[in-house]
Amino acid sequence: MPIRRVRVRTRRLLVTAAVALTGALAAGCGSSSSHGPVTLNWYVYPEPSGSFAHAATACSQASGGKYRIVMNLLSTSSDQQRVSEVRRLAAGDPSIDILAMDVDWTAEYAAAKWILPWPAAQAAQVTKGDLPGPVATATWNGRLYAAPLNSNTEILWYRKDLLAAIHQPPPTTWTQMIDDSIQLAKMGKPHYIEEQGSQYEGLTVWFNSMVDSDGGGILTKNDKIIVGPSTRVAAAIMHRLATSPAADPSLNVTQESQSETAFEHGTAAFQINYPFVWAAAHKDTPSIGKEMGYALFPRVNPAIAPRVSIGGYNLGVSAFSQHPQLAFDAVRCMIQPQFQRVDAIKGGLAPVRASIYGEPAFAKSYPFHAQIKAQLEHYGIRPQTPVYADVTLAIQKALSPAASINPGSVVNTLTSEIKDALSSEALL
Amino acid sequence: MTQRAKQLTGWSSAFVLIAVLSLVPVVWIIMLSLKTPATATDGSFIPHQWTLSNYSDIFKQGIFTSALRNSIGIGLISTALAVVLASMAAYAIARLDFPGKQAILAVSLAVVMFPQISLVGPLYNLWRQIGLYDTWPGLIVPYMTFALPLSIYTLSAFFREIPWELEQAAQVDGATPFQAFRKVIAPLAMPGIVTTFIIVFIICWNDFIFAISLTSTTNAETVPAAIAQFPGASQFTQPIGDIAAAAVVVTVPVMVLVLLFQRRIVAGLTAGAVKG
Amino acid sequence: MSAVTAPTGAAPAAEPRGRRRISDRVRAERRLAFMLVAPAAIVMIAVTAYPVIDTIVLSLQRADLRFPGASKWVGLNNYGAVLRSQVWWADVVHTMIISVIAVSIQFVLGMLLALAMHRTLVARGLLRSIALIPYGIVAVVSAYSWNYAWSLTSGWIPHLLGLSGDPLSHQFGTYAAIIITEIWKNTPFMALLLLAGLALVPDELHEAAKVDGASTWQRFSRITVPLMLPAILVALLFRTLDEVRIFDVIYIFNQGANGTESISMLNYSTLLDRLNLGLGSAVSVLLFVLVAIIAFVFIKGFGAGAGPSGKRA
Repeated sequence: MPIRRVRVRTRRLLVTAAVALTGALAAGCGSSSSHGPVTLNWYVYPEPSGSFAHAATACSQASGGKYRIVMNLLSTSSDQQRVSEVRRLAAGDPSIDILAMDVDWTAEYAAAKWILPWPAAQAAQVTKGDLPGPVATATWNGRLYAAPLNSNTEILWYRKDLLAAIHQPPPTTWTQMIDDSIQLAKMGKPHYIEEQGSQYEGLTVWFNSMVDSDGGGILTKNDKIIVGPSTRVAAAIMHRLATSPAADPSLNVTQESQSETAFEHGTAAFQINYPFVWAAAHKDTPSIGKEMGYALFPRVNPAIAPRVSIGGYNLGVSAFSQHPQLAFDAVRCMIQPQFQRVDAIKGGLAPVRASIYGEPAFAKSYPFHAQIKAQLEHYGIRPQTPVYADVTLAIQKALSPAASINPGSVVNTLTSEIKDALSSEALL
Repeated sequence: MTQRAKQLTGWSSAFVLIAVLSLVPVVWIIMLSLKTPATATDGSFIPHQWTLSNYSDIFKQGIFTSALRNSIGIGLISTALAVVLASMAAYAIARLDFPGKQAILAVSLAVVMFPQISLVGPLYNLWRQIGLYDTWPGLIVPYMTFALPLSIYTLSAFFREIPWELEQAAQVDGATPFQAFRKVIAPLAMPGIVTTFIIVFIICWNDFIFAISLTSTTNAETVPAAIAQFPGASQFTQPIGDIAAAAVVVTVPVMVLVLLFQRRIVAGLTAGAVKG
Repeated sequence: MSAVTAPTGAAPAAEPRGRRRISDRVRAERRLAFMLVAPAAIVMIAVTAYPVIDTIVLSLQRADLRFPGASKWVGLNNYGAVLRSQVWWADVVHTMIISVIAVSIQFVLGMLLALAMHRTLVARGLLRSIALIPYGIVAVVSAYSWNYAWSLTSGWIPHLLGLSGDPLSHQFGTYAAIIITEIWKNTPFMALLLLAGLALVPDELHEAAKVDGASTWQRFSRITVPLMLPAILVALLFRTLDEVRIFDVIYIFNQGANGTESISMLNYSTLLDRLNLGLGSAVSVLLFVLVAIIAFVFIKGFGAGAGPSGKRA
């Protein structure tokens, strides 16, 4: 009867399906029995030259199948990167293994126990041969919490032709630089000094560099507030620049890229900026590029060598990672000199390993290597405190717009706000 | 000139003025998206050099395509859920009599007036504790909630317009209650539901506050949040052309919806007072 | 809006065959109504009530996610810190300035636009479509477009206005740019809310007044506006509340630098940038109180939401 045949056929179909399904499941289970490499998630900004991706792939291969580094891309803005990372870390996200950390986040992450300190035995080895500045940024409470990957520091860039027009050598102090600019302005020549005056982290870098270069400071590692006379000196210079002809009209919204653009457009005689501007100017406007000279960050106090707040990135291992040991191994691989070299030559990122600076090939593509190395050895560093986010905001608000700075009251304002910040009562 | 001609000239000038004012920023962002990276900062309205490279750029990176996927998925799901819940409530409000009608309307009003930013902190806190941070449900829940008041408002106005007697007439003619509902009421309710769907989808598509607060990676980042985080040529440059291209891509579907459904949208947002 | 009385599913014309039967019917109807309304109500209440309670609780603690082990009850300390902070009061002032100016201008322009959308003889449908485009545009896109337009390097507005300085570097210029962006984006919505009221004014009144020799302005101010008053109040209430909560535009422009930070931005940055949940929650509560005060003033003081719009309030 048709019905019985249908029933039989149906039953056969079901059995076949069941067998097939079981077989598929078995095969699937076999391959996902995690005999494959462990995935290590690396939260990092999209480095445009591809050198980071190169390091990630090379180290994954070199691990011999133990792990595979997967890059999870964050924003290009450092502030946004921090926000993305800390929100997930505060949420105890177990899917993060390795973090690219801007150098001033170390204290915050370490104090909140979001990252793991390096085992003491390996810490010395990891930082062997590194310049002192970057190592200092990765240390908190005497322990190494992150591995320095690259560094950055601002130096002075100037127009050789304009300085020739006023018969002056490259300025060595801020006073001299502002005077040079005023002189150029009187002659009707391009004269702006490009600095980062927008209300953001770059402003803190400027201010902190000035304060440290005068021999002072803002906050010690033990949360002692040492805002004092150097703060007033620094604020006064910044105010002078902002109210002189040297100031670009857009100073209040200028960040690194706007400084570079203005210099390339030819309206500026000087800029304080990171080394990326060298390659950019040579590519975008070769006529300006060939007149570009470079020198050390100008002195605030003529008697003291400047201390410029260094930037750059360190690599940390998340405290919530499921594979911390492998993560440490991966980090140790990615900071090796061969990758630092690629990062520098392709991506313009200053290496942290001192020996690289002496290599001839490196010196050719990084002509200002002497200035960079000097500023990484005689370095400045932004306040290392868990409430750094509050401290930098207090600084930014007190010093922007730069033309409205009141050097006298800055000391009091900063002192009281940082005090509030240390007890989580700072509304900024 | 005759009275009529004067009036027509007057209204035509008004039309041109309104059109220009409404469209200038839109045209501007389109122009920006067609500028080459070198001329992006030259300050001219019309590009001196044209290129489509910005558009191909943004689709090459994973950030924008996953943001689009997130926006579309989260938007559709939140809207669908909101419309379903709101339809049920609006039906009750429009057709049935029950105590607490004023209460539900008061609650809706309170939700609409609530500062969303105040919700964001505790939601982040809660989501991070139960693992919904940076996930689709993490955004769908607040979107749905904030879409409900407007949906209920719009849908109850639409439902009030439906002649319910037709349902009873159909039943008298021999249809079962369910058939009466499906064949008579549902088609009449459809325009209202479609309109509400469009209005709510636009709101979800637009949202920025929840998107930047409750997401942090391509898992759940929607387009408005992603645009604000586009990578540039170096760590320090802002990619104006890319941002403009992304902005155009994300605006086009909404503009198409608005242009096609203008009459329905106006009717919906004016609670049926204006039918075109 | 059609003036329909609240329809009841069951025609009460059924003969009263005894109280129990009517009660049954009414009870069944009510049960159905509750079941239909419950899901929406539960979602709205749950999703807003829990965070509200959490906010109040957190605002009484020192809850800083950067110091996970240091949480403790601090009573009203956070409120004290907020209310004695210059930053808080400055932001309240910024927000109020932007709100008042933006809403006033939106009202005037919105009324004009509503009149045009209502009465134009030229391409009414197309006019409405085009006028609605700012409403549909993603707020972030509008902010970027205007931001780039005002920028000294990449924009065309400074050149058009003959400005040599950078308007976005100064507080006044930034205010102007932000307010103009808000006006552009939101006037259509204001116009729609007003249009709802405008459409209810019967034409016959206008005809009669015209016959009596009333001028356009007299007709507008004596007939249109008074009859539109409920719609005007609702429109002003909603838009004011929206402007007080302004966030997107300011964030994209400059994150509140140059003295334009709004209360919402302060709230966001405290809670989610610096993870200071205790202090940020105090700001949230104060913001909500502010919004409630404004709503109260409008509803009780001006009578917004009363009258024929009572049903939709």
